[in-house]
Amino acid sequence: MSSATEPLGRAGRASLGGYYALLVVFLYAPLVVIVAFSFDDSTIAALPFSGFTTRWYRAALHDPTLLDAVRLSALIAATNAVAATALGVLASLGLSARRVLLRPAVTALLVLPLVVPAVVVGVGLLILLDEVGSGPSAGALAAGHVVITVPYTVLIILPRLRTLEASLTEAARDLGANQVVAFWAITRPLMTPAIVSSLIVGFTLSFDEYAIASFLIPPGERTFPIFIYEGSKVPQQRPELLAVASLVIALSLLLVVAAEVGRGRYERRQVAAGAG
Amino acid sequence: MTPAGRRLPPRLGQGWLVAPPAAYLFALLIFPIVLIGLYSVFLRTNLTGVVAVFSFQDWGRFFPASWGELPWRTSSPFWNTFVRSMGVTVVIALATTALAYPLAYFLAFGTRRRRSLLLLVVLAPFFTSFLLRVLAWQVMLRANGVFNSALWELHLRPHGEPVSWLINTWFSVGLVLAYAWVPFVALPIFVSMERIDRRLLEAAHDLGAGRLTAFRKVTFPLSLPGVVAGFVFVLIPTTGEFVTPQLVGGPGTYMFGQAIQDLFVGTASDWNYGAVLAVWLTVVVGLLMALSGRALTMDPRR
Amino acid sequence: MERLDRRDFLRGMAGLGGAALLTGCGAESGLKAAGASTGATGRPVHYPGQVGAEPDHLVIAEWPGYEAGGTKAQTYGLTAGRAYTRRFGASGLTYADYGNDDKNLNKMRAGERFDLLHPCVDYVQDYVDAGLVEPFETDLLPSFDRLYPQFADRGSLNGRQYWIPWDWGFGSVMYRKDKVAEADARGWELMWNERYAGKISMWDGGSTPVMVAGLLTDPPAQDIFHQTSDELERSRQLLIQQKPLNKFYWTSEYGDMQPAFKSGDIWITYAWPADYKAMGDALGYDKVAYMTPSQGKLAWVCGFMMGKGTQSPLHAHAYVESFISLAASANLVNLFAYGSSNASVTPAMVKDGRLARELDIGNPEAFGPPVHVERHIPNRAEYQEVWAEVKAS
Repeated sequence: MSSATEPLGRAGRASLGGYYALLVVFLYAPLVVIVAFSFDDSTIAALPFSGFTTRWYRAALHDPTLLDAVRLSALIAATNAVAATALGVLASLGLSARRVLLRPAVTALLVLPLVVPAVVVGVGLLILLDEVGSGPSAGALAAGHVVITVPYTVLIILPRLRTLEASLTEAARDLGANQVVAFWAITRPLMTPAIVSSLIVGFTLSFDEYAIASFLIPPGERTFPIFIYEGSKVPQQRPELLAVASLVIALSLLLVVAAEVGRGRYERRQVAAGAG
Repeated sequence: MTPAGRRLPPRLGQGWLVAPPAAYLFALLIFPIVLIGLYSVFLRTNLTGVVAVFSFQDWGRFFPASWGELPWRTSSPFWNTFVRSMGVTVVIALATTALAYPLAYFLAFGTRRRRSLLLLVVLAPFFTSFLLRVLAWQVMLRANGVFNSALWELHLRPHGEPVSWLINTWFSVGLVLAYAWVPFVALPIFVSMERIDRRLLEAAHDLGAGRLTAFRKVTFPLSLPGVVAGFVFVLIPTTGEFVTPQLVGGPGTYMFGQAIQDLFVGTASDWNYGAVLAVWLTVVVGLLMALSGRALTMDPRR
Repeated sequence: MERLDRRDFLRGMAGLGGAALLTGCGAESGLKAAGASTGATGRPVHYPGQVGAEPDHLVIAEWPGYEAGGTKAQTYGLTAGRAYTRRFGASGLTYADYGNDDKNLNKMRAGERFDLLHPCVDYVQDYVDAGLVEPFETDLLPSFDRLYPQFADRGSLNGRQYWIPWDWGFGSVMYRKDKVAEADARGWELMWNERYAGKISMWDGGSTPVMVAGLLTDPPAQDIFHQTSDELERSRQLLIQQKPLNKFYWTSEYGDMQPAFKSGDIWITYAWPADYKAMGDALGYDKVAYMTPSQGKLAWVCGFMMGKGTQSPLHAHAYVESFISLAASANLVNLFAYGSSNASVTPAMVKDGRLARELDIGNPEAFGPPVHVERHIPNRAEYQEVWAEVKAS
C-alpha cells in the first residue's frame, strides 16, 4: 500500500499522537494525584506537600471497618461472578440451539439490564423486597448484581461458543459422541478462557458497584464502594482513603497487565498448536 | 423438516436451557419494573393505612399543568429537572463522543505494531474503581484542593481565593462524567473503524479522492455505527446518574437520578411519585434505544 | 416492610389529633407541651431476661461524630458510650449514618431496622405513629430520674417512654465576621442576601429549611411548624429564590459544611452550636459568629429511640444509660457546646464559661420565645414535598 493511500499523513499522525498523549495525561492525572497525596503527611490534600509518610497505609490496613467492607464486597462479588457466569453459560447454550421459543424476546430480555438505568433496577428491587416483606440484605444485593451482570457474561460466552460450533460438530460426528460427552470433552476446555473472562468481569462489576448497593445494603453494613462514598464525606478519613485508592490502582493496573500478557501467551500457544 | 439427504450439523445447546436465566431476569427485572408501574398509578403503595386505588394523580403532578416560556421552566419542578438533566446528559454524551473520536481514529489508523498496547493504556484506568476516580477529582477541584492550592503556590491567584466554578457546577459534573466515559466510548468507534475494508480507501484514492474526501465519503460513514453505540453507552448510564452530581455537583446540578433516589430513600420519601419518575425514565431510555437502531443488538446479522 | 392494619392506622390518626391539640397550647408554653399526650392507654413495659442471654450486637442509626467513645469511629475524647464499650466491648456496635430525621424516618418506613436511633423530638410522634419503635423501661436507666422533666416528658406517648433525650441546642446562622458586614447580619435574611451569592450554604435538611423560610415570608407563617398550604407555597417560592445563592446544600456537618467554612469556600451557613465551637476553635472567635437572629433561633432536643423488634433491648438500655449518665453529659457540653438533658450538669462543670453564657448552655429555660422549639409537624409530608420541589426546581 503506498503511503498516499494511508488514511493519515505524517502531520495528521503527529497531531493525533499529540492528542493521544494529552488524553493519557488527562486520564492518569487523577491517579497520579491520588498516589502522590497518599504519601503526604497532612489531612488536607493540597500543595505544598507537608512531608513523606506511610502512616496512612498502616492506618488503612488496620482499619476493621475497611477490612470488613472489602470482605463483604469480595463475598458478594464472588457470589455474583459464579451465579452470573452459570446463568450466562446456560443462556449461551440455550441461544445456540437451533430452535428457541420466542428467541427475539428472550434475546432482548437477556440484554435488557444493559439499557435499564441502574437507579431503576435499584428502586425496583427495593419495592420487590418490600412486597415480599424482607428488608435489604447482602443476599438481595448479590441477587441484584447478578441481574446487571448476566448480559455481560452472555456477551462474553456466546460469541466464543459460536466460533466453536463448526469444529465441534465435525469432531462430534467423527467420534460419534453424544452431546453431553462432547460438551464435557471438547466444548468445556475450549470454553475455559471465555468462562474465566466472564468470572473476572462478574467479580469486577460487583466489586465496584455503588448505585444498586446504595439501595439494597442493610443498615450498618458497607461494601467497599459504600465505604469509599461514606469516607469521602469525612475529611479526617480522606488520607486513609487515598492510601486505599493507591493500593486499588496498583492492584488493578497489575491485573490488567497480567491479563493482557496471559491472553497474549494463550493466543500464541493456540496459534502454535494450530500450526503443529 | 430437514430436507432429505442433507443432515444439519447437530447443535450444542438445547433451547430450554435459556429458561433459568430468562426466568431469573423476569423475576428480578421485569417483575420489579411492573411493580414500579403499579406504584406509579397508585395500585400499590407503601403509605401506612392508605388504601391503594388506581389513580393517575401522580402522573398529573409530573406533567406540567402550564408550560411557561421554556420547557424547563414549567409549573412542574420534577419535569424541569428531567428536561434540564436530559439536556445536559445529551451534551455530555456528545462531548464525550467528540473527544473519543480522534482517539479511536488514532488507534485505528495511526498505530500499527503497538496498537494493542496503546489501547490498553487508555482503557486501564477504567478498571480502577469508578468512585475512587470521582473522589480523585473531588480532591483536585475542591476549594482548598490541588488545583487551587497550586494556583496559590504559583502566585497566580491571591492565597485563599479559590476559582469558584471548579466544583459544585455543571462544569465539574460534566468533566468527571466525560473523564469516566471517554475510553469506553472510544472502544466501539475503534472497532467499527478497524472493520473498514482498507481496499475501500485505496479505491477512493485511485478515484482521485484526497484524504479529507476519503474520510468524509468512506471512513466517517462506516464508523457511524460505532459512534452511535458509543454515544448510547454514555447516554444510558448518565440519564440515571446520581452519584457524580452528589459528590462534585451543587444545588444547580440536581439530576433526574438524584430526584428518583431522593423520592425513594432521601429526605422526601414518596414512592408513588418516585415510581412515576422511574417509569418515565425507563420509557424515555427505551425510546432512545429504539431510535438508535440496531447499534446495540446482540445478534449480529448473518 | 411491616404494614399497619386499619386499627393501628385509626389509633395513629387519634394520635395526630392529640398532637393538633398540643400545637395549640404548645406555642406559648414552649417545652412543657408534649407530656400532655400521656394518655392512660399503655401499660408500662418490662423487659425480662438477662443481658448475657441477648446477642451483643447493636445496629445504631447515629449522626456521624457521636459514635460511642472507645469505638474506632471515635478518636477524640467522647465519654458518652465509654461505660458501654468498657463492659461489652466495641466490636458488637455497628453504626449507620442517620443522615437527617426525614431521611432516616423514610428509610425505616421502607423497611430498614435499627436497634437504636437518634431522632430529634419533633419526629418522636412520627416514629411512634408508624409503629417503628419500642418503648423503654425507665427503671433500667439509672440516670433517667435526673433528666429535665420538660425534656423527658416529650418522649412519653400513651403512657410509655418512647424517647430518651440526650442533647439539645440551637439552629441558626453561622457566618464569618471578617467577611460579612455587621449590618447584614441581623437575621435569617442573611441567607438570602445576594451580595454573598456563592458563599452561602443551606442545610439539605428536609423540613428545616421550610421552617426557616416560614419566618421570612411576607407575612411570616403563623406557626412555622404547621404552615398552611398558602404559607407553604410562599416558603417554597422563597427557597427557590434562595437556591442560586448557595455554593452547595450541605449534607454532613463534618463532611462538607465545616471543611468548606474553614477553607473560606462559604461564609454563611445554617449551623449548630457544635459547628460554631469547631469553627471558632479553628479560625478564632474574632472571625466567626453564631447569630441570634431578629426572628429567633430554632432549637431542638434529640435523644434515643429503640427500634421495633430489637433482639437486644437490655443492651440498648445499657447503651443509652452510658450516654445520659452525668459524666457523659458533662463531657457532651464541653466537647460540643450542646446542652445536656441531664439536670445534674451544673454551670461549674462547663469549662468554657464564655461559650456557655453566649449559648445559654445549662439553661433549658433559654427555650422560651423568641426561640422556636422544634415540634411535631402534623403535615410533615407536605414539608418534605416542598423541599423536594425546591431541590428539583
